[in-house]
Amino acid sequence: MGRLHAEEMVLNMGPQHPSTHGVLRLKLRTDGEIVSHIEPVIGYLHRSFEKHAENLEYQMITPFTGRCDYLAAMGSEHGYAMAVEKMMGIELPERVEYLRVIFAELQRIASHLVAVGAFGLDVGAITPFIYCFRERELILDLFEMASGARLLYNYIWIGGLAHDVPPGFVEKTYEFLDNFDKRVAEYNQILTGNKIFIERAADIGVMTPEVALTYGVTGPSLRGSGVNIDIRRTEPYSIYDRFDFDVPLGQGLQGTIGDSWDRYYVRVLEMTESAKIVRQALDQLPVEGDVKSAIPRRIRPPKGEIYFRSENPRGELGYYIVSNGKNVPVRLKMRSPAFSNLSVINEIGQGWMISDVIAILGSLDIVLGEIDR
Amino acid sequence: MIQLLANWILSFDILSGMASSVAWGLSLFIVAALIFVFVALNAIVLVYFERKVSAFMQVRLGPMRVGKFGTLQTVADALKLLQKEDIIPRMADKVLFVVGPWVILIASVVTFAAIPFSDTLLAANMNIGLFYVVSISSIVVLGIVMSGWASNNKWSLYGAMRSAAQIISYEIPVGITLIAVVAVVGSLNLQTIIEAQGGTGNLFHWIPIPLPNWFIFHSPFLFLAAFVYLIGATAEINRTPFDIPEAESELVAGFMTEFSGLRWALFFLSEYANATLVAFLVAIVFLGGWQSPFADYEGTQIGFSIITIVALMWSFFVRTKTGRLSVYPLGLSLIITIAAWLFPGFAIWMASPGIFWMLMKVGSIIFMLMWFRWTFPRLRVDQLMYVSWKVLLPLSLINLMGVAVWMWLTGEIQF
Amino acid sequence: MTEQEIYADLSKKFGDKVIEFMEEGTQNPTAVVDPASVAKMVTYLKDDERFQFDSLMNLAGHDADGESELSVIYHLFSTELKHYITLKTFTSRAEPKVASVANIHRTADWHEREAFDLYGINFEGHPDLKRILLEDDWEGYPLRKDYVPAEFYRGMRIEKVK
Repeated sequence: MGRLHAEEMVLNMGPQHPSTHGVLRLKLRTDGEIVSHIEPVIGYLHRSFEKHAENLEYQMITPFTGRCDYLAAMGSEHGYAMAVEKMMGIELPERVEYLRVIFAELQRIASHLVAVGAFGLDVGAITPFIYCFRERELILDLFEMASGARLLYNYIWIGGLAHDVPPGFVEKTYEFLDNFDKRVAEYNQILTGNKIFIERAADIGVMTPEVALTYGVTGPSLRGSGVNIDIRRTEPYSIYDRFDFDVPLGQGLQGTIGDSWDRYYVRVLEMTESAKIVRQALDQLPVEGDVKSAIPRRIRPPKGEIYFRSENPRGELGYYIVSNGKNVPVRLKMRSPAFSNLSVINEIGQGWMISDVIAILGSLDIVLGEIDR
Repeated sequence: MIQLLANWILSFDILSGMASSVAWGLSLFIVAALIFVFVALNAIVLVYFERKVSAFMQVRLGPMRVGKFGTLQTVADALKLLQKEDIIPRMADKVLFVVGPWVILIASVVTFAAIPFSDTLLAANMNIGLFYVVSISSIVVLGIVMSGWASNNKWSLYGAMRSAAQIISYEIPVGITLIAVVAVVGSLNLQTIIEAQGGTGNLFHWIPIPLPNWFIFHSPFLFLAAFVYLIGATAEINRTPFDIPEAESELVAGFMTEFSGLRWALFFLSEYANATLVAFLVAIVFLGGWQSPFADYEGTQIGFSIITIVALMWSFFVRTKTGRLSVYPLGLSLIITIAAWLFPGFAIWMASPGIFWMLMKVGSIIFMLMWFRWTFPRLRVDQLMYVSWKVLLPLSLINLMGVAVWMWLTGEIQF
Repeated sequence: MTEQEIYADLSKKFGDKVIEFMEEGTQNPTAVVDPASVAKMVTYLKDDERFQFDSLMNLAGHDADGESELSVIYHLFSTELKHYITLKTFTSRAEPKVASVANIHRTADWHEREAFDLYGINFEGHPDLKRILLEDDWEGYPLRKDYVPAEFYRGMRIEKVK
C-alpha cells in the first residue's frame, strides 16, 4: 500500500457570504477542518476615494470620508476635519469641541454595538444582535436630530459643525445614557458570561503583543492583547485630556490574553467608558458659542503635508494630506485601521477550524468600506 | 385504529356490501393521509409559532400583515415557494439531488405511524413501537448525506459530513436513555409506556409530594435521563445550539444551500416534523403522554389553585423587575381555577386523559426547543462531539445502571 | 528624542544615504533618504535602544505633479519611547525601485502592495508583490497624475470622466 494521498482543499469564502462583514473574499487552504493558510482578497469595494479627493475641494471631501467607514462616519469626518484644521492652524470654539467629542463617542458606542452584536451573530447567538441594534436605534435617533441623517452625516465640517444641535438634544442624550448601563449589563448576562460563547471565543485566535504591533493592529484589537496604546491618551487631540475615562485592556479573564474573547470584552467595556465621556461632556457643554464661526471662507491650507491620526472605533485612523496651497489637495491618503487589522488574520488564524476563523474575523471588527476605500 | 375506522365504514348501509379487506385498505389509506395532513398542518402552525416566539424574544413583533396578526404568513410563504423555478446545478448528481429531500421527509413522517396521540388515536399499535421510531428516524442521515453530496458544492458537503457525524454520535446516548425507560416498563410498546404512567404517586418514590406517576418523577436517574434525552434530541434534529450543519453564518445553509423552491420547503417541513417527533417522544416517554396530570376532579381544582398561586408570585416578580403587569398567566389560571371549582364537569373533563394533554405537553417541549434556539450560541463541531461522547454517553450509561439499582431499592424488581 | 536629533544620528551612521532634513512645509519633520537603503535604516531605527521604532503607522506612495519623481513616505512611532520620525524617499518615474521593509514591519506588506498597485513602485525584497485593491490584470497605475485609463477592460468600456 502506498502512502495515503491527503490533499489540501482550497475553500473559498466568497465575496458574498453572511459572515464576512462586507465583500471580502477569504481563500482558505484547509486540511479537513483545520485551516493551514488564509489569504484575504480585497478590493471588491474599491471606489477610488483617494483619486476623487485629488479633484475635490477640501470641504467637498467630508461626505466621502464618512462613506469609507460607514459604521463610524462621525469618527472619519472628525479625523479629517482635525487634520485640515491643524494644517491651517484653526482655533475652534469650545462648544464645537465639546459637541464633536459627544458625537465621536456616541459613534463609538454605536459602532461597538454593531461589532458586539455581529460577533454574537457569527457564533450563532442571534438574539443579542437584535438587542444591540435596539440601542443603536436610539443613538441613530440622536444623530438624526442633530444632522438629519442616520448613517452618513456630512456634519463635522472643517472649522466647525454643519448646524448646531436642536433644543431637546441634550435631554434626550441624558435619557439614553441613563438606560445604557443597564443594557450593557444585559449583554453581559446573555452573551459575555454564556458558557457556550466562552467556549467559542476564549483561547481562539490568540494575538501576542509583538504580532499585533508588527502587523500594525490598532484599537480594541490591540488593546485586547494587553498593549496600552490609545491615541486619545498617547497623543491627546481635541479636548480629550479634560475627561476622566479608563482605557480597558484585555486581561485574559476567560482564557489567554489576546484571544477573541478579550477583543470582544474590550469593546463591551469601551462602550461604558464612552458613555462616561459623553456624560462628562454634556455636563461641561458651554451654552454659548456659534458652531459655524470658525469655518473659514476659503479652505486653502498652506503648502505642506501632515499625517494626523485619531482613535476610530476600529483603531488608528490616519490622514496623510499633501497640499500645494490650492483649494484641492495634491494627495489624500486615509490610513484605515481595518486595513492593517485584517492583514493579521493569516498569522492568527492558522491552525484553527473554519468556525474559529469566522469567530476571529468577527473579533477583529472590520468594515470593508474603509479597507478598500 | 385502522380496524375501528374500517368497522365504522362498514357500518354504513350503503357500503355494507364492501369486502372487509377493501374497507381495511381504504381506512389504511385514510389514516396515512391523515398523518401526512397532520404533519403538514403542524409545520404550518409551527413555522408561524417559531416566528412569533423568536420575534417576541427579540423585542419585535414578527409577521403582522398577512392575515390577522400574521397568521396567514406561512401560507403565503408556501405559495411563494411552490411557484419558484426548480434549479438543479449543472454538475449535480440528478438522481440523488431529487431523491435526497424526499428521503428525509418520508423517514420523518413514517415514524408518526407508531405515535399514540391519545388512548384510541394510534395508527399502528406495534409491540416494538419505540424501536421502530428510533430506527426509522435514523434514516434521515442518509437523506442528509445524499443531499450534501449531490449538490456538487464543497460547502454543502462539509455541512452534510458534519451533520452525519453529529446525528450518528448522538444516537447512542439517546438510545441508551430510552433503554433506561424501557427497563422500567418492560415493553417497547409506546401505548404501554404511557399506560404505565397513570395515577398519582410520590416524587422519586419516597418524597411525599403528590405528583402524577410520570417517569420523569420516577427516580432522580430518570429525571436526569429526561434532560440527557432532550439535549441529545436537540442535536439529532440539528437545532441550535447544535445547528452546525445549517450554520447560517458559516456555510450559508450547509447541506441545504443548493436547494430552492419546493425542495427547500421539503427540508423545512422535515425539520419541523423531526422537532415534533422528538417532542412527542419526550412527552410519551417521560411526561406521561396523553395522561392527565390530575387524577380526578378534586385534583384538578387543587392543582389549578396551586398554579394560580404560582402565577400570582410570578406576576409580582415580573412587576418588580420590569414595572409591568403580566396579566395573561395570572388571568388565565384564575379563570380556569374558578371554572374548575364552580363546574365539576369541567374539572372532570380536565382530569380525563386525551389528545388535549398530549398536545399541551408536546407544545411546551417545542416551545422549549425554540427558546434554546434563540438564546444560545452555536457549539463548534468538535465541542459538539465532546459533549456527545464524553458527557452524554457516560451520563446515559450511569443512568441505566442507576435505574436498575433504584428499582431494586424500591422493590419494583427482585433479583 | 526630537526628530532633529534622530536625523543627526542617522546622518552620522549612514552618511550620504541620508539626503536632507525637511522641517518647513510639513507638520511632521521628515528625513529624506536614499531609496535603496530604506530597509537598513528602518531596521536600525527599530533595533537601536535609543529609538525603538516598533510601529510603522503609515506607508504611502506619492506623486507630486506627474513629471517629477515618485516618492514613498514612512511614518514611524515608538510605543515605548513615544517619539516619532518620518522618512521620505524619492525614486525615478521610469523605473521606481525602493527597498522593501515588509520583512521588518509586517504591516508594510499590504501597504507596499497598495503603493505598487496605485503607483507602480517596485519594492525589492517584498515577499509577494502583487496588486491588492485592483484586479490582477488591470493596466496602469491610477493614482499617478499622468494616468490615462485604457479604452477597454476585459471587453467593458471605461467611461471617461468629463
